[in-house]
Amino acid sequence: MVNFQKSDISKIEELQRPQPNWLQPLVLLAPSGIWLLLLLVLPTLIIFQLSLVADIRPGDLVNPNGFKNYIRIFDPLYVQVIVRSLFFAFGTTIICLILGFPVAYWIAQIAPQRWRNLLLLAFVLPLWTSSLLRSYAWITILRPSGLLNSLLSNLGLPTLQLLNQSQAVFIGMSYSLLPYMVLILYASLEKLDKRLLEAAADLGANPVETFGQVTVPQIFPGIAAASMLVFITGLGDFVDPELLGGASSMTAARLVYNQFLGATQNWGFGSALSMTLILLVSIAIALLIKFGETAPKR
Amino acid sequence: MTNRRLFFKGVAALSGLSLAGCGWRLAEVRANPNTSGQRDQLYIFTWTQYTDNQLLKTFSTQTGMKVLADVYDSNDVMLAKLQAGGGGTYSIIYPSDYMVQKMVNKGLLTEIDHDRLIGLENLFPRFQNPSYDPNNRYSIPFNWGTTGLLYNSEKIKDAPQDWDYLWRNQKQLNQQMTLLNDVREVMGATLRMLGYSYNSKNEQEIKQAYEKLKVLKPAIARFDTDAWQNQILAGDLLLAMCYSADAVRISQENPKLKYVIPRSGSSLWTDSIVIPKTAPNQAGAYAWINMILQPELAAQISQRLNISTPNSAGFEQLPKTIQNNTNLFPPESLLANCERVTPVGEFEAVYDRYWTQLTSG
Repeated sequence: MVNFQKSDISKIEELQRPQPNWLQPLVLLAPSGIWLLLLLVLPTLIIFQLSLVADIRPGDLVNPNGFKNYIRIFDPLYVQVIVRSLFFAFGTTIICLILGFPVAYWIAQIAPQRWRNLLLLAFVLPLWTSSLLRSYAWITILRPSGLLNSLLSNLGLPTLQLLNQSQAVFIGMSYSLLPYMVLILYASLEKLDKRLLEAAADLGANPVETFGQVTVPQIFPGIAAASMLVFITGLGDFVDPELLGGASSMTAARLVYNQFLGATQNWGFGSALSMTLILLVSIAIALLIKFGETAPKR
Repeated sequence: MTNRRLFFKGVAALSGLSLAGCGWRLAEVRANPNTSGQRDQLYIFTWTQYTDNQLLKTFSTQTGMKVLADVYDSNDVMLAKLQAGGGGTYSIIYPSDYMVQKMVNKGLLTEIDHDRLIGLENLFPRFQNPSYDPNNRYSIPFNWGTTGLLYNSEKIKDAPQDWDYLWRNQKQLNQQMTLLNDVREVMGATLRMLGYSYNSKNEQEIKQAYEKLKVLKPAIARFDTDAWQNQILAGDLLLAMCYSADAVRISQENPKLKYVIPRSGSSLWTDSIVIPKTAPNQAGAYAWINMILQPELAAQISQRLNISTPNSAGFEQLPKTIQNNTNLFPPESLLANCERVTPVGEFEAVYDRYWTQLTSG
């Protein structure tokens, strides 16, 4: 039998006294919070400050003097570049959705249970290699004298001129981002309630109606999240348009690269373009938060 | 006060903070006061083809210092990295001629003390006092060459003589030719073809060059400084605008690929060795330059790395076949029409505007 003394009890009471409300969240969030503050918030603020200086070159004093850089972005030339980035990102999202959904559905619902992890692993395996290497591999495949055209000419089919065009960029970007789409869709499809599908069939719905009115609303958050991930990553993709695109595939990311690492050295304008990309991504995320939970009502 | 309002106030305060820190200098490069640190290590920043393991090993055995090479493929990337990193750890850098001028103007280089060099007199007379760096005050020439056209002589029967070959045969060469991804080289070549200078400071002339290039653009596969090499060897490209140094190497792999300097004129470039003012190991830097100036070594790297050496003593030691290689060492007659690219001051913005229009359209 433990002998409790009065002083012990008061010590225990001391320990159990509630701490201030803010202490625990602060301690838990501090490591990643400081990390984010130093490596995300601070650099973004520096970029924002740089973007407010017109015609700044390395070695100049930084004195914000207006929004001239942002006004310059409205030039039709740069708007065209940004629209092209959006076009690539959006197109890649659609392609990944069309290609990835059947695969995710099959792995989640139709494939035997014991193979599911293996199939997912096989699909995600390309992510283990460098994305740069994968893009170079596409050059080897899509070249005029590459693997694809060799195969086509051996089969007697006409050869395709795919490299150095937008088509190659779409192929490269879709290939790079497809595993992400499949993974996130799988996570959603795994929780699909089969009983609802059976109930719909019992009530007389054909497969198409069931898909549209039962399956899609259930997994809509997954579709939204996966599409947003692919869209945002595709918007900032530098490697695929650079390697696979031709002379007419300048995207916003490459334009930012030219400002910082090209002959121009207009770091202010590059910063303004970067802030614009950040703004576009933020808009996309805001849309996701607002509309991504429930499917659009009929 | 709701949480959201508090959050937005916080965001506004943070953004205001970003404006508070005004007056700092962007990407400032300060001279390194400690120039004899890192006595046993030398970091060099060079082009991909200008160094190999054997050269680094030769230096290590000669001086006992460990040497590490980082590579870049564009002068502008090198300059940006130098400025963004506040100078960095490099004691030896290999800029091109116009970039040497730019770096001198920005105050990024140290003057080279010729008393500490051995063998500077070995250089050819025309490299003793180059136009971009009088008396080699800041740079020592390492490699020189021209820009021209490399074409597949098997598939192209009538050899190109001049830049306008590209426009005249636009249909046959559709999507099977590349131009360099360099604003001054491409715009300059077009200006030269139209009868103007590579360093034109006339907006009308530059605009004309842009209009001409716009006509050619649908037929160009890519603007490329490096990747064309694999593609022309594989037969995907028929013609590529390239530097003579790359052309020599590719021609050796496939003798059917021939290099030509266009008749209306081309650009003459020199890559030099410089010591940045942030160099931590100046003694090592001088040792490196002295090694490069040795005639035997100049001859060796000329053969191994296809360098057009500016070292006359080294040139003497080369076998006759290499001395007579007109791609490596073009005779004066071919160089008569060649021009050096020089900085154009505030007209850089004009060139850049038209180049962005050309590449972004």
